[in-house]
This record gives sequence, structure tokens and C-alpha cells, in this order.
Amino acid sequence: MSFFRFPPFPKIFLCIPLIALIFVLLVWPLALLAVRSVQEGSNILGEGAVGSGLTLANYIRIVADPLYREALLHSLGLSFIVACSSIFLCLAPAWLFVRKEFPGKRLVRALFALPMSFSGVIVGFLVIIMLGRIGFVPKFFEGVIGTPLFSGAAYQFIGLYIAYVYFEIPRATLTLESSLRKFDFQLEAAARSLGAGRWQRLFFVMLPLMWPALISTFAVTFCVSLGSFGVALIISRRFSLLPLEIYQEFTGFLNNELAAAMSITLVTIAFLVNYSLALWRVRREPVHA
Amino acid sequence: MKFVFKVIPTVLLALMVFAQWTGAESEIRLASKGEKIMKMAKERVVIQYDCIPNYANWGEVTQTYALKTGVRIPPDMKGSSAALAALEAEKSNPQADCAYYSGAIGFQAAQKDLHAAYKPAGWDQIPESLKDPDGKWFTVHTATIAFIVNKPALNGKPVPRTWDDLLKPDYKGMIAYDDPTWGGTSFTMVYGLNVLKGGSSTDFKPGLDYFTKLDDNILNYPRDSIYNDVLRGEIPIWINADGNGLKMKYIDGGDIEVVIPKDGSVSMPLVMGMVKGAPHEDRVKEYLDWLLTEQAQSIFAKSFFRPVIPGTMPADVAAKFPPKEDYKGVQNLNLAEMSAAADGLKKAWLKEVRGRR
Repeated sequence: MSFFRFPPFPKIFLCIPLIALIFVLLVWPLALLAVRSVQEGSNILGEGAVGSGLTLANYIRIVADPLYREALLHSLGLSFIVACSSIFLCLAPAWLFVRKEFPGKRLVRALFALPMSFSGVIVGFLVIIMLGRIGFVPKFFEGVIGTPLFSGAAYQFIGLYIAYVYFEIPRATLTLESSLRKFDFQLEAAARSLGAGRWQRLFFVMLPLMWPALISTFAVTFCVSLGSFGVALIISRRFSLLPLEIYQEFTGFLNNELAAAMSITLVTIAFLVNYSLALWRVRREPVHA
Repeated sequence: MKFVFKVIPTVLLALMVFAQWTGAESEIRLASKGEKIMKMAKERVVIQYDCIPNYANWGEVTQTYALKTGVRIPPDMKGSSAALAALEAEKSNPQADCAYYSGAIGFQAAQKDLHAAYKPAGWDQIPESLKDPDGKWFTVHTATIAFIVNKPALNGKPVPRTWDDLLKPDYKGMIAYDDPTWGGTSFTMVYGLNVLKGGSSTDFKPGLDYFTKLDDNILNYPRDSIYNDVLRGEIPIWINADGNGLKMKYIDGGDIEVVIPKDGSVSMPLVMGMVKGAPHEDRVKEYLDWLLTEQAQSIFAKSFFRPVIPGTMPADVAAKFPPKEDYKGVQNLNLAEMSAAADGLKKAWLKEVRGRR
């Protein structure tokens, strides 16, 4: 029996530090950005809005100017295929981690989680070391077949794609694994004992049950890719992405209002994707549990 | 019994709160003491934006100053443009004491009223064209745009000697220059070449035509220092300041050749300014004074940036530069014109060169 027992108090107090932190580091800066994004800029070039009133011109420019529109579409497209690819790549290992015991499993899991601790800039350098002009892969092919295949691939779209997928591997694996843990594997066994074939089991039992796991993994990897910046900063040559444009407008042109509008656009997209996928997932969640 | 368990903790809690209350005063005293210590510690630094240790030997310069005076200048990895952006963003509450830029960007910062006027000791020895008459900016050293060539990485191709050489298909995927919207050196290069090719501060076509053609041979437009990549041979040709290449060759022992292009090049003053409303104004003045002394100037010279104060270049360093006649075609640029063209040229470069399909 413990002697001290503090009088009960609402659990909400325990959340105060977090609420304060979120306010200071999320709500407040976002509010500042949102305000700035509708202000008329002081763009020296005289492009777009100049003055001190309120305007939506910054947002209109993102859609109207081909440079920014393209960057936005690139960001969405790249994030989409990276999210799909990382799910495809990581489903099997996540499945293994949940279902099978094998020697060294902890070690392998730790290795999978390792890239999580790398910043984007480091991943960018890794890709250059592997796929740069004199990277490991081209050197290897030069030694084996005489031609340096993939030389300089790091600076092309393929390098960006590989770096982003690599960046998402731990996120995809860990999210998939934790979702698959909730999976009722007896249902699969039941289907098998009722005579369902391998593909029937996959398409009519497993996949419908796995949807929520896939959706939440997609949401995580898509949003992380959308905001990722370091990788592209290091290796992207001319494939523009919205985070790079934000950096460029801010540092290169002091066009803070447009940069703010682009940031708000990115945040809004990430939030909407996350939120709508979460709603959808709830609807798809199997009811048996 | 239950009553006791409820009351005792409540009383204890009340006591603790009370203790906090009475202790608060002494804590305030402690806090102010802590603040004093913090303030003293703060006074021992000078904040310089754009203080990259392996650029122009800032590492050794700041270290020497710290040993001499106890004032620390922490490294700062912003390029010129990023430094300007930061100063602009912090205009109402300046964090930096001084900043270092390539000439045109420093000029622009002074124009935007981000600098306070200060003429450091040694001011009179700076040539007229390399300082602002009011003291809003002044040059600390100069550099020349050159090709920094990693010879083994060329795979037997000849070392390029002229700007037109760079256009040859031999060098496909071998050349890099920094994104001019990121770094001032590269912006000076892009602007200067436009002038060399017959353009002006309002006509960018001659320069952009050249860079569009050069784009076929470009590996990357880095927005981060690629010094190590060039040294390693990942990037065989870097168009940058001669000093960086000479440092690779003589200090880091790379098999590097520094080529001053035969068809002309441009010189780049690297300037500093004292930030308006600098938090450590007295200290930064002393520091800026010291930067123009022979001691500081000769440390810059060790990494092959030409000292602005005449006669401070050590003879052994001077001997390592490419021969004097190579520098004959080097032009000085008009900083006012260059700075006026800055945003327009950067935008045009983005659209025509990087945005090229």
C-alpha cells in the first residue's frame, strides 16, 4: 500500500506541456505564415502583388505561373509514386517481422529502422557516393562489364526517386508492421480450411483486411516525402519540387510572402491527405474486432 | 484512515506550493545572476553571418582572433544570399553583428539599409573602388573567377583553357557551378560572363545564351559547398573563385589545376558590413578593425584570397598563384550595376537555364 496518494486531478494537466509546445511550435508559426501569405509582397521585380494590403495573388501565382505549378505537380507526383513504391517494397519485410521468428530478427529490424535517423542531406550524399559520377555502382559496372552504368544517375530523376524511397523505408516498414500486428491471421487460416486458393485468399481475404494498414502507411510516407527537402537540395539538378522553390524564393529573392503561400499550400495538402485517408480508413476498418 | 490519506498529501502539496512561493524571490535573484553570466558570455562573441570555415580561411582567421582576444566568432554556413535574407528577416531585431558577402550582395544589403556606417582602422588603404564612401561596406579581400580542374578526373581529356572550351562535348556531365541564386561567387560569375560576352546590366541575352549551351555539359547546380566533391574527383570542373582551387592544390594536396580563362575573367571583391543595430557593436568594431591588419590579411592570403590592404600578401603565397600575365584579361565589375541587376538576372537564369527542357 502506498502511503502517498495525491488528490486526483484531471489528466488534461499532463497534456499541458505538449499543448504549449504545439502552440508555440506549430499553431503560432503557421498563423504567422498564413497571415504573411495573404499580404502583398515587396517583390523587387514588381511581379505579382506589391503593396501592403491583403490579397490572394500569392496563391494564384502558385497555380498560374508554370514554374511553381510544375513544382507543385512534381512534388505531388513524386510523393505519390514514392509512397506506392515504398509500400510495395516494405510489405514483405513487415509481414516477416510480424509472422516469422528467425535468428537475428532484432538486428535486421534495427537495420531497417536506421535510415530514420538520417537527415535528408545525408541521404543525398549517400546517393552521390553510390550513384554519382564516380560512385560505387558505376565503378562496379566499369570493372565488371567495362561501361560505367548509372554514372551520374544521382543527379537525374532516378537518383531522386531512389533517395526518397530509401528515406521512406523505415517509416513504411514500421507503420506497416504495427498495423499488421492488429491483423487477425485466423481469418486467413479459416479461408484456407474452407478451400480458398492462394490467390483467392490474397484478393478476397488478405487485401481487404490489409487496406487500413496500407492506407495509413501511404498517408505517412506521402506526407513525409511531400515535405522532405534535404535530399532534393543536395541532388536535384533541375527537377523542381515545391520545398526547393520555397527555399529559393526565401533565400534567393526575399520573396517571403510567396514562400509563405507555398508553405501553407504544402501544409494544407499534407493535412487534407492525412485527414481524408484517416476518415476513409475508419470506414474501411473491419468490424469483426 | 482514508481521510488521513487524503488530507496528508493535500497539506503536503499546499506546503510545497507555499515553499515555492517564498523561494520564488531568491530564485528571481538567482535568475538575474544567471542572466548576468549569460550576458557576460554573450559579450564574448561576435556573430558573423556567412563565416564558412573552409572558405577564405575564415576558420583560421576566427580562431586566431579568439586566441588573441578571447572573443569567439562561431562558424556560420549561410552563403551570401542566405545571409542577406536572414538579415532582412531579422531587421527589427538584429541577431548578427556583421556579415560577409560577395561584392554585389553586400552592396545590395547596404542599399536595403541593413548596414550601419563604420570605417574601420586601415580604411584609407583600401582602394576607392573597393569601398563605400560612407562606410556601409568595404572589401576585405578579392578573388578571381577561375576553372578549378581536377586533372585525373578528366579521364585524359585536355584541361579547358577558355570559356568556349567548356562547351565542347568532351566535358559532358563534368562541369558544375553553384546555383547563382544561392551563392554570391556564382552570381558574380554569371553576371561577369554576361558582361564579357557583350551583355549589360539590362541585357542578359549574351550571357544566358552561353549558359544555356553550357547547360548540356553541367552535372549539377549545387546549393551547398562542393569543395570536397571536386577534391575527390566526383566533379572534375568547378567554376568558382581561384582561391578555393589553389587551396585544394597546395593545402589539401589535390592534383588540381587552376585555370584563369584565356578569353577573360572577372574579379570579385568580397565585402563586409556592420549590421545596423548590431547586438555587440563595440566588439564588432574592434573585430572589423583587426580584419584589416596585416596579421588577419596575411591569414586570408594563406588560403589564396588576395588581401585588400597592399603589401600584406606573403611572398611565398604570391609565388603559388598562376603567373601574373594570366590575370591580364581580368575585369573589375561595377558593383552598383551588378547589384541592380541581381534579382532580374537570377530570375532569368532560373527560367532560361535551370528551367530549360
